[in-house]
Amino acid sequence: MSIFSPQGSGSRYIVAAIIVAALQTAVLGYAIESRASILRSGTDALLKTAPVDPRDFLRGDYVVLNYEISSVPVASIVGGVPQDQGKKSLWVRLKPGDGGFWGIVEASFERLAEQPGTVVLHSRPFYSYGPNSADHIRVEYGIERYYVPEGQGTALEKARQGGDVSIAVRVASDGTPQIRSLLVDGKPAYDEPLY
Amino acid sequence: MYRGRLERDLSLWVEKGLLPEATAGALLEEYDARPASFSLGNVLMILAAILLGAAILLVVASNWEAIPRLVRVAVILAIIWVVHLGAAVMLRRGATGAAGGLLVIGTLAFGGAISLIGQMYHLSGDQLTVMYLWFGMAVVSAVLFRSGVVAAVAGFLSWGSFAAYLDTYDTRWVGLDPWIVPLMAAVVIGLVHLTGADRARHLAYLLLVAWLTWLYAVNENFWLALAYAIGGMLTFVLVSLPVARRSALLRTAGSAPAFYTFLVAIIGLLLLHIELEHGWQFVTLALVTLGAAVVAIALQGRNNGAVRYLAYAAFAAEMLYLASVTVGSILGTSSLFLFSGLFVAAVAWLVIRLERRFALRTPEASV
Repeated sequence: MSIFSPQGSGSRYIVAAIIVAALQTAVLGYAIESRASILRSGTDALLKTAPVDPRDFLRGDYVVLNYEISSVPVASIVGGVPQDQGKKSLWVRLKPGDGGFWGIVEASFERLAEQPGTVVLHSRPFYSYGPNSADHIRVEYGIERYYVPEGQGTALEKARQGGDVSIAVRVASDGTPQIRSLLVDGKPAYDEPLY
Repeated sequence: MYRGRLERDLSLWVEKGLLPEATAGALLEEYDARPASFSLGNVLMILAAILLGAAILLVVASNWEAIPRLVRVAVILAIIWVVHLGAAVMLRRGATGAAGGLLVIGTLAFGGAISLIGQMYHLSGDQLTVMYLWFGMAVVSAVLFRSGVVAAVAGFLSWGSFAAYLDTYDTRWVGLDPWIVPLMAAVVIGLVHLTGADRARHLAYLLLVAWLTWLYAVNENFWLALAYAIGGMLTFVLVSLPVARRSALLRTAGSAPAFYTFLVAIIGLLLLHIELEHGWQFVTLALVTLGAAVVAIALQGRNNGAVRYLAYAAFAAEMLYLASVTVGSILGTSSLFLFSGLFVAAVAWLVIRLERRFALRTPEASV
């Protein structure tokens, strides 16, 4: 099975174990820390959730979140939609509007410059069908899932149907958002500590 | 199993006086002493490892509110470190079975850990990146520990990555991501050679075949089907040449390269049959298909049972298809069955003749 004899290479395996475990630790640590650093130093924004098909709302132990800004009007896209189809992503500029909720000011397939009083979100890659395909482009930002403790999903769903669920996020300078807290009727329902 | 057949054959040869009994015993002993030979204990150990890995993850996941997040993360990390160091200690003692089990737990735990951390911190993440990372980690572990079991896990993860890709992009070809699939297959084949996990090789070859089939589904094109037929057949002939068969890379791979290249050729021919249904092109295609089956039997029929059966099946299917399109339309239903019966009998006779013919050509066919 091995070209190395088990006897002569004992320390080799220990080194292998340390490398593999350290790599795994590093990947997991990176995932946790990259989120925490966005929450520590990102720009605040408050997002209004949009209605979701009720059957899709609660899936397993996470709640599917759909935002008003998930649907980007093609009219708001500066420079238009590129001709070629394929994998693309959008930069979306948000500004506070009615009731403190942030809405889309402009969007672009090119990177948008920073402007005071606004925040730029970078969408996840999606498949673009080119111009003239629709009035709106649906995008995701990587904040579409909120995991809830087992058994509490239905309660949240009721709250979601009764009142407004909104999400406070912090956005990194590269446009990646992270969920800071989930609010029901403007009051935080779940606290999100850094770690 | 091979051991059973070996034992039967050896006792037969001893009976016929071809082999002294002592030699037969020594041959069996040599086979039993090989480290890779099948052991029920080892297989059960791996199964136990998979169950334990799942159990640990579920315990961590289900004690949702009871344990603070950071403690959960610490438990996950502790599992990862203990399992890998434990595997190293087991390998030092020469307990490869137990080490393999621990390494499987380690690799599965990493995948579970990513998704748990994603849940705890609401990272919707993209599953494709997660699968690539998981696969990469399995590869690193398989290489560093020279572990065949982890190589097999990597083989399954390559399938998982392909599935995740198809799911994410709705089975469309998007960007450069699809190229990762053949790359992963190549990596898995490399792992198989490095670790000696012979059976995991089929995961890689099948992945390539599945990928090619998907490629055609995305891009239904006459030339692509033709490329499969010609490319598959050419590679099949190449790997069947005596020079190639003696090379170390192919000798260790056994019958797999010939079978899968021929399979791709047959898939190409099948797709061409969908494209070409009439006229001289169809007749040419039918003749080429029959010819390909005969060439396959001639080149690999003796030593490679999988190729032989695939070739017989392709030959028979083509004959029946030809008969159904040429004569079937003229006859009524009952006479069609009568004719089909006679025809299948004729095909069977032909195949048996072919079998005999190639079985008789002993000296020049053996390599």
